[in-house]
Amino acid sequence: MNAREKEAYLREYSILKSQGKPFFPYSVAKDGLMAVVVMASIIGMSLLFGAELGPKADPTTTTYTPRPEWYFFFLFEVLRVIKPPSLTPLASIGVPTICMILLFLLPFYDRGPERRPERRPIAMAAGLFTIAAMAFLTYEGAIAGSPNQVDMEAPAAVAAAGGETLRQWESGKQVVAQSGCLACHKIGHNGGVLGPDLTEIGSAASRASLARVLVNPTQPMPEYSALSESKRDDLVEFLAQLKTGSH
Amino acid sequence: MANLRPPLPRALRPKPKGPSEDNGHAPTGAREAVAEKGISAVDWVDERTSLSGGARWLMFRKIPRGTNWFYTLGSATLFAFLAQAVTGVILAMYYDPSATRAYESVRYITNEVFLGEFVRGMHKWGSTVMVILVFLHMGRTFFYGAYKYPRELNWVIGVVLLLLTLFMSFTGYLLPFDQRSFWATTVGVAINGTGPLVGPYLNDFLRAGPEFGTTTLARFYALHMLVLPGAIAAMIGAHLYLVARLGTTAPPWIKTDIDPELRKEDA
Amino acid sequence: MPRDRKQSKQPKTTLEEQIPGAFEGETVSRRRFMTGTAHAAGGIAVAAFTLPAVGMAIGPMFEKAEQNWESVGPIGDFADDTYIPRTLTIVRGIGDAGKTTVYIRQYNSQLDSEERDEYNEFIAISTRCMHLGCPVRFVGASQRFICPCHGGVYDFEGKVSGGPPVRPLDRFYTRVRNGQLEIGPRFSVNSELRRFSPRDPGMPLDGIGQYVYPARPTTRKIPGT
Repeated sequence: MNAREKEAYLREYSILKSQGKPFFPYSVAKDGLMAVVVMASIIGMSLLFGAELGPKADPTTTTYTPRPEWYFFFLFEVLRVIKPPSLTPLASIGVPTICMILLFLLPFYDRGPERRPERRPIAMAAGLFTIAAMAFLTYEGAIAGSPNQVDMEAPAAVAAAGGETLRQWESGKQVVAQSGCLACHKIGHNGGVLGPDLTEIGSAASRASLARVLVNPTQPMPEYSALSESKRDDLVEFLAQLKTGSH
Repeated sequence: MANLRPPLPRALRPKPKGPSEDNGHAPTGAREAVAEKGISAVDWVDERTSLSGGARWLMFRKIPRGTNWFYTLGSATLFAFLAQAVTGVILAMYYDPSATRAYESVRYITNEVFLGEFVRGMHKWGSTVMVILVFLHMGRTFFYGAYKYPRELNWVIGVVLLLLTLFMSFTGYLLPFDQRSFWATTVGVAINGTGPLVGPYLNDFLRAGPEFGTTTLARFYALHMLVLPGAIAAMIGAHLYLVARLGTTAPPWIKTDIDPELRKEDA
Repeated sequence: MPRDRKQSKQPKTTLEEQIPGAFEGETVSRRRFMTGTAHAAGGIAVAAFTLPAVGMAIGPMFEKAEQNWESVGPIGDFADDTYIPRTLTIVRGIGDAGKTTVYIRQYNSQLDSEERDEYNEFIAISTRCMHLGCPVRFVGASQRFICPCHGGVYDFEGKVSGGPPVRPLDRFYTRVRNGQLEIGPRFSVNSELRRFSPRDPGMPLDGIGQYVYPARPTTRKIPGT
């Protein structure tokens, strides 16, 4: 903004201001109504959801899955997605710092005199993109499960068969959850991205080849020969049922 | 020679007649008497503080034409902050920031104290509401271009307030000392520690030692209820002063109805 | 205009300024001296309460935390092919909040790549993920340590085998006294299992990492290890 544009703005603004209404009582009335809405929502949420208090802090746990407050989910997701160790400090301190600096300096690099949203396409695109990205990351962070659980219902065929098939499927799912497969592999919504996605592995590999990989895997996958015979059978059965379109 | 004397100070000049004096008779009814007393009390304070000018400047300043409901988000945030302050003070009357008793005291608040769970719930959900309102208020400012000249400094103060609000929620998160608190804080402190060179020392400062220790909770508590609210209150003061000084923006699509011919000459 | 500047040169002494009562060679007038002294006194008064307060706040950053050895049972309890979890007290006086879990096993000459010395006849591995400090769990079936937060995976030695962690899991010094296994202070290791003073999670120790994230005065490794 150059001196002429500044003067033009100030002149325009002072006219608009002189045409306006006083803060008290007109704006105060609106603010008061809004305050009632705010208070009502706080009281409503307090009455509806109460103040949950979880189990006492236990630094010795090895089974707890920490999750942040929802408004830090986007940061949590960034930390989860940026995998290479060399980029970890960038994800934890670099990205947030850069974002904060960009936010601080906004009025100093966006200095154009135009204020109407439809005439600031770059600013609007950047703003909407930021909101969309934060919303997406927050959603992804919110649905991220623990690597110790598989969020999946038995496919229709297995559920219909019932009996031994269903029991084996449930047991195999349990083994997957407890053996840490999801640390590297993705099954359904849940899991890591280091190894291949196993969501539809049943269509791609036979039972025999699945069993072979478990005992004699390619690096860096660990051996699962320590698993008992029956558990390994259940595991293979579960994986074999992960077919395209079965869930 | 009398004309050369300095004028009488404003406070000592004869007052204009009050509403009851206009009728030419002294106040008789009880209501009139009370009104008269009230006016004289306000006068007494104003004679000693001269606040009326400032109050008039603040309350009767004009708000430009065309402002809408999005303009209430700022005051709504302020209101949420005040609600947090009040509920927080009450919670502080029952809370004990020690590693061995913090959880018990929060459980006592939640289960035993009259209205305890309700007030703690208001504080807990109030923080969520405040964070949402801060973001909405910031979004309004961004999309209306309200951070531009001459309000750049107020945007910067606003971002500081956003940061302080997030620090508030971070430090407050540890205080109930349940599993969620402890691990969220562990991760938060570790994130803080990845700042190069200063990170390790900053962590030792936050925890008062190399591990979560005896005074860590008290430190977070002091930050949460003394340092950060003080900083937020001061920043809100500066923020509001600048809002009143520079005026609320008009929505960007509102234009003055001056004659277009005049506007042409102007340019 | 260098000539002009020379002419309007600032008077250097109070004598040149022609202040009454000036001394020969005096450069600061008494009025300025008094004002300066008063401001300095105010500064000293402010410092007199801020410096001790700040000192008290940052004091714990320079105090060495106490380190102790804690017995976790007879050495016969621990195998060399799997980990046994044990609970330790690392900070005294705050009850359960000062405890942590360590995974313990015997040194395994077939698996372990590090050199054997008096402190690693038994290997005690910390349960804090070295990404950002979440609690890791040893999964027997895959012989891996797995973190539930951001997907870190460590192998049997505690080295990173996948995910974002920046260094292997921290360890604790161990020693044997009267047939009992004792666990001592924590230390950090780089990807070659070289020992470093304990760092917080998220701080790499390979390459320049150890200088970017320096050791702190509050906690050090045992000298010479």
